[in-house]
Amino acid sequence: MKFAPSLFEVRNLSFARGGNEILKSVNLSILEGEYCAIIGPNGGGKTTLIRLLMGLEKPTSGTITLFGTEQRKFRAWHRIGYVPQRSALVDASFPATVREVVAMGRYAQRGILGFESSEDVEAIEESMEQMGVSDLRDRLIGHLSGGQRQRVMIARALASHPQVLIVDEPNTGVDVESQHRFYELLRLLNTTRRIAILFITHDVGVIAEDISKLFFVNQTLLLSQTPQQILRCDQMSRLYGTPAHIVSHNH
Amino acid sequence: MTDMLTYPFMQRAFVAGLMIALLAAMSGSFIVLRRYSLLSETLAHVSLVGVSVGLLFGLSPLWIAVAASLIASWLIEYLRSVHGMYSDSILAIFLSGSLALAIVIVSISGSFNASLFSYLFGSILSVSNEDLMVMAIFGSLAMVLLILFFKELYFIAFDEEVARASGIRVMWLNFMLVSIIAVIIALSIRVVGTLLIGALMVIPPVAAIRFGMGFFRTTLLSIAIALVSVLIGLSASFFFSLPSGAAIVLCLLVVFVIALVVNRR
Repeated sequence: MKFAPSLFEVRNLSFARGGNEILKSVNLSILEGEYCAIIGPNGGGKTTLIRLLMGLEKPTSGTITLFGTEQRKFRAWHRIGYVPQRSALVDASFPATVREVVAMGRYAQRGILGFESSEDVEAIEESMEQMGVSDLRDRLIGHLSGGQRQRVMIARALASHPQVLIVDEPNTGVDVESQHRFYELLRLLNTTRRIAILFITHDVGVIAEDISKLFFVNQTLLLSQTPQQILRCDQMSRLYGTPAHIVSHNH
Repeated sequence: MTDMLTYPFMQRAFVAGLMIALLAAMSGSFIVLRRYSLLSETLAHVSLVGVSVGLLFGLSPLWIAVAASLIASWLIEYLRSVHGMYSDSILAIFLSGSLALAIVIVSISGSFNASLFSYLFGSILSVSNEDLMVMAIFGSLAMVLLILFFKELYFIAFDEEVARASGIRVMWLNFMLVSIIAVIIALSIRVVGTLLIGALMVIPPVAAIRFGMGFFRTTLLSIAIALVSVLIGLSASFFFSLPSGAAIVLCLLVVFVIALVVNRR
């Protein structure tokens, strides 16, 4: 096995809110170029785990290391593309064109009074192209369908040239066909641009066998395995507490 | 028509009015998009506390209004972001609280007179050279900050959480935005008046948004709406002896209705 540097390294991470323990001693690591999924029941702490990774919540205990740097000292946030779940729900009249939204992905790097450089323009165009939203550039974000919006949000995350992309529940408000195309796109980004992917889903049906790592989160990280190990129903029932079936689909 | 510009007080009123219109429209979009519109109304009432203190002690009301408005804006943002209180309830408390305080101070000083009336509704006669100086100093500072951080503020208005996750100093910029708003509000009480400034900050962006354009164009349109309304409002105030703030707000309302009718779906 060839050595791949670790992008995220989580050690003994715990998080509690108002006395309720939401996550308990989670350990996980994500390496360069991996294609990972987090699954688990609703309320099991999947989104909280991601928010902790992104520094949007403070852990009760434990450490998070991002690209080899302790999270507290980490500044290169543009290396991580983050697409939260509710970003698919924008107000219909919000004054933002697709082009403007994707350009936000470059803001943090531009610095004070930074005008768009040719490099910015290139990155913005390339990301829109890649996600197939170039034709929509002048449309208002609120006027798009759920699937289109989702792709715009990913394009925004890609514009900063991240090495890892985190996508929370990409299926919300998106029809089945768009879902499939969406996962294909994620996979394509992973294979062609070598971007590590970490996505959350509560829909175990979408998990394809080519995933490098699968994390089951329900208060604690119950399993972190390759799909071949997981595609056994007894494991699933242990996690969900009820018998579960995994649909494995090979395209 | 151009006769009115031969009067020095009208020249001052126009300079002040256009400056305020530009600043209010540029910053107004951010509070409108963040559902924080009543911030302007609230800080206007707080400015009134500053005005009444100034009248009581014979100090420059504008300076004290700027100070009061700034302090209140920080308190409001602190309570909202650090203590997680609902912003509308914080605003409600500050709004009536500061009005109560202003009324008490005014009663003590016994200065419930024409001078106070001009602060409530705006007056084109009242803009002094000293006011213009104060406005030039704070106004240009606010303008520079708005231009420097325009894109970050836009990102935060669009999605505060993703903005934070991408490394933008959201907390710091939020405090900066409310400070800018506080200063603009305090500066505008001369021309527009405390009871009416909220409209100058909120109506232009709301009307512009109806046209369904991107943020850059929406902001330009919003600035245009504010400038035109102030020009017409001040002129109407001159010719028909109306309080300038009221005339400006009525112009804004007309524009708003036009925007609604033109863009009805």
